[in-house]
Amino acid sequence: MAETKKFAMVVSEGSFDKAMMAMMMGNTAASMGIETHIYFTFFGLNLLKKGAKPKLPGMLRFFTGTMVKKMKGIGMEGYQEQLEMAKELGVKIYACSSSMEMMGIKKEDLIDGITVLGAAAFLNMATESDMQLFIG
Amino acid sequence: MVIIMDKNDTLDAKGLMCPMPIVKLAKKMKDLKVGEVLELIADDVGSKEDVPAWCNRTGNQLVGQKEEGGAFYFYIKKVQ
Repeated sequence: MAETKKFAMVVSEGSFDKAMMAMMMGNTAASMGIETHIYFTFFGLNLLKKGAKPKLPGMLRFFTGTMVKKMKGIGMEGYQEQLEMAKELGVKIYACSSSMEMMGIKKEDLIDGITVLGAAAFLNMATESDMQLFIG
Repeated sequence: MVIIMDKNDTLDAKGLMCPMPIVKLAKKMKDLKVGEVLELIADDVGSKEDVPAWCNRTGNQLVGQKEEGGAFYFYIKKVQ
């Protein structure tokens, strides 16, 4: 058994494509036995709102439904299902405290089971990780 | 690769795309006992590389692999 690796990811955008990328990467890593930490900041924070339904960016947003259907057709779950899966797989989810303040989002607006963190705490975690990714 | 066809359980992941075969594989392996072999069937081309990588990372053993009728068959032995 290879030693346990640690993975830190930052998500700074809240569009559908970024959301799915984060979930797919995070869930795959967790399934591989990699300890996975995801930090949601700026517009990424919207993804942690209860019942969040992200859309594609800009004018492409009108095609989100088509894309969701296409993904379902090839056996890919939707965003909410993947987020639920992430929690089941033990992915650690963090919300950026200053983004919450800036965007007027309260802890109770966000899904359960997440931790509110400042940048320093997350960066400290990232320095101890074997792999860091930024999705934005 | 030597084909070992003895299996204790099967996971059919046909029609599923990356990363679902790996996510389902990880879940399924939890139900197996050490030493048991799972047969995984997938048709996502990516799984050809993904499944060996998953085994390598998790320390489970890929004891057999074949391609048949457009699908990939993997035989994975639970090590721990």
